[in-house]
Amino acid sequence: MNLVLIFNTFNGLITGAFYALLALGLALILGLNNTINFAQGAFMALAAYFAYTLEPSLGFWGALAVAPLLAGVLGLVVEVFLIRRLYKRDPLYSLLLTFGLALIMQDVIRTVWGANGVPLSIPESLGHPLSQTYFFLTGYRLFVVAVALVGTAVLFAVLRYTRLGIRIRAGNADLETVSALGVNIYLLRTANFVIGIVFAGVAGILAAGQLGLEPTMGDGLLMPAFVAIVVGGVGSLLGSLLGGLLIGVASGITTAYFPAASEAVIYLIMGLMLVVRPRGLMGQEGLFE
Amino acid sequence: MNKEDSNEQVQMDRRTLIKAGGAAGLAALLGTQVPSWGASETPVKIGLIDPITSTFAALGQSEIKGAKFAEAEINKAGGVMGRPLQIFVEDSAGNPGTAVDKASRLLSQNKVDFLMGTVNSAASLAVSQFANRHDKLFVCTGGHVDSLTGKECKTTTFRTCSTTWMLTAGDFETLYKKFGKKWYFLTTDYAFGQSEQADYTTQLKKAGGSVVGGALVPVGATDFSSYLIDVKAKSPDVLCLLLAGNDQVNCMKQIAQFGINKDIAVGGALFELEQAQALPEAARYGWWTMEWYWNQPNTPHVADFVKRYAAANKGEYPTARAWFGFATTHAIRLAVEKAKSLETAKVVKAMEGLVLPPEIALQPGNVFYRPQDHQLMLGMFPGHVIQTGKYPNLFDVSGIVPGEKIALPPSETGCVLPRA
Repeated sequence: MNLVLIFNTFNGLITGAFYALLALGLALILGLNNTINFAQGAFMALAAYFAYTLEPSLGFWGALAVAPLLAGVLGLVVEVFLIRRLYKRDPLYSLLLTFGLALIMQDVIRTVWGANGVPLSIPESLGHPLSQTYFFLTGYRLFVVAVALVGTAVLFAVLRYTRLGIRIRAGNADLETVSALGVNIYLLRTANFVIGIVFAGVAGILAAGQLGLEPTMGDGLLMPAFVAIVVGGVGSLLGSLLGGLLIGVASGITTAYFPAASEAVIYLIMGLMLVVRPRGLMGQEGLFE
Repeated sequence: MNKEDSNEQVQMDRRTLIKAGGAAGLAALLGTQVPSWGASETPVKIGLIDPITSTFAALGQSEIKGAKFAEAEINKAGGVMGRPLQIFVEDSAGNPGTAVDKASRLLSQNKVDFLMGTVNSAASLAVSQFANRHDKLFVCTGGHVDSLTGKECKTTTFRTCSTTWMLTAGDFETLYKKFGKKWYFLTTDYAFGQSEQADYTTQLKKAGGSVVGGALVPVGATDFSSYLIDVKAKSPDVLCLLLAGNDQVNCMKQIAQFGINKDIAVGGALFELEQAQALPEAARYGWWTMEWYWNQPNTPHVADFVKRYAAANKGEYPTARAWFGFATTHAIRLAVEKAKSLETAKVVKAMEGLVLPPEIALQPGNVFYRPQDHQLMLGMFPGHVIQTGKYPNLFDVSGIVPGEKIALPPSETGCVLPRA
């Protein structure tokens, strides 16, 4: 039993890193665009389908590079024509908009690519376990962890050291003043949204490699992302990473002992967190308190 | 309140009301189906409730395609008793509550004569109960739970797809004899999954095997790594996967990536061509049962059916689900023509014992609706997935097992139907 526990903890960290990757784009959009983007899962699915269509001509790596950019273009269109109009209103409006958008995108996927699942093949070299004992450690999953860590680091660096990043962080704190200082906040928010969607695209393609690629896949990816953000703390990237890891490990361990609750346990943790420490592990004080 | 104010208010409200009414009317018009036949003949109407959205969408849409294909051919051949056949399709979204809502709408708005459909077992049971209460014939196309033609059987309910017992009995012998006695069950926690596991366990224990472990997985689980850790730890001979549609595909992908299928035989009951299509080559393995397969070189009429269906569906080959929709539509037509009436009681009587002719049954053997429980005695097609196969050649059938032979005898199903 002890060995199973260790394995599950280890495996949980890997799954958790994946959840953190899902949460990155969502956290970014939640911050500056003040939008609870319910369509994040749908963008992930769409990018994965783009990758599936591009894979025969570009291969897995080419598709991984290009498809998120295509999703980003769609994100650009959505932000400029739809979400931008709702910034002045209650966040509830953009929530409803993105919710509806998610349903529309899911049905578009179903109409264009069919309701049936389609296979996204991952490179042969990554599809094998790296060790006999730790059979759940495949090259692909390690790659996903690497992308999650690198992604967080890159985003962190961008936010801290580039002009765009500093403006985004300033906008998070006080958008009006930033605008008064002469920064084009429209461009800023569009850029922020597109970056968030590109991250979603990468996450979606990586998800499709190891899970399934079918029209409803976004639903299963969106919820852990939300929970990771709430647990880790809204407004903190490191928090989202930690939040993801925490729920990944919790889910993995619960599966070993009480599989029926493996999905529910992440919501239980979120509920507990909201009661005991609403700001999350590393969130900014005052956001929810 | 001033009189002018109230007038103005009423005027504004009326305008909005008219706009809203117009919009609602337009929406309702778009929502209902416009019949395409002339108004001279009252059509025979069937209400088809199947998931068009949700995780069961692929299976539901196949059933709908099969039914629509049958409808087109029937109408081209003169209809049912000389009257046009009309199939009204509604989306159950895989949800029992929604399925009953849609059934209700089909009865009250479209005034259908018969109901058919459903993919997931929970929806089948719900619609079966509903149809019985309203004295309407319901032929279940795709829900497999034993109780539908067992403990919960109804005089007005028939079933085209197999029972869970037939599915498991179809390949149990093969799995047991070929691979071993120690089984591990990975089951989706819903009616169908639990039913499959119970049936396999009964047969396993009777044959002297043992269950070394099992886990109930919530519906829609995407990551199976933790479950697979437990599977590896218990080292069974056979890993029996009893997972819902897309979950099964996910799990099979992960099993292949972890290399688990190299030392543990993987198999199970229901497998659909739609699932096989979603598997990348690395994940094509396993021993399963299909309920109908297009590749039957020795059965007459099948190749022709496959050709006609593919021509009508852009080259897509018919799956078992498509055959369910097709066979059920024809079965209803045959029963109506035999009863020479649309009255539920008469059609029910005509359907009891109804034998599907070879060009509808599209398989060898005696395929008929058993009168004691209204279950179709269809054949099972056990076999294994072809690793290097290309669509549509994805499954290798090892033999066709006649349903009559493996179905539970009527006395053991728990079904008690009032015999006229």
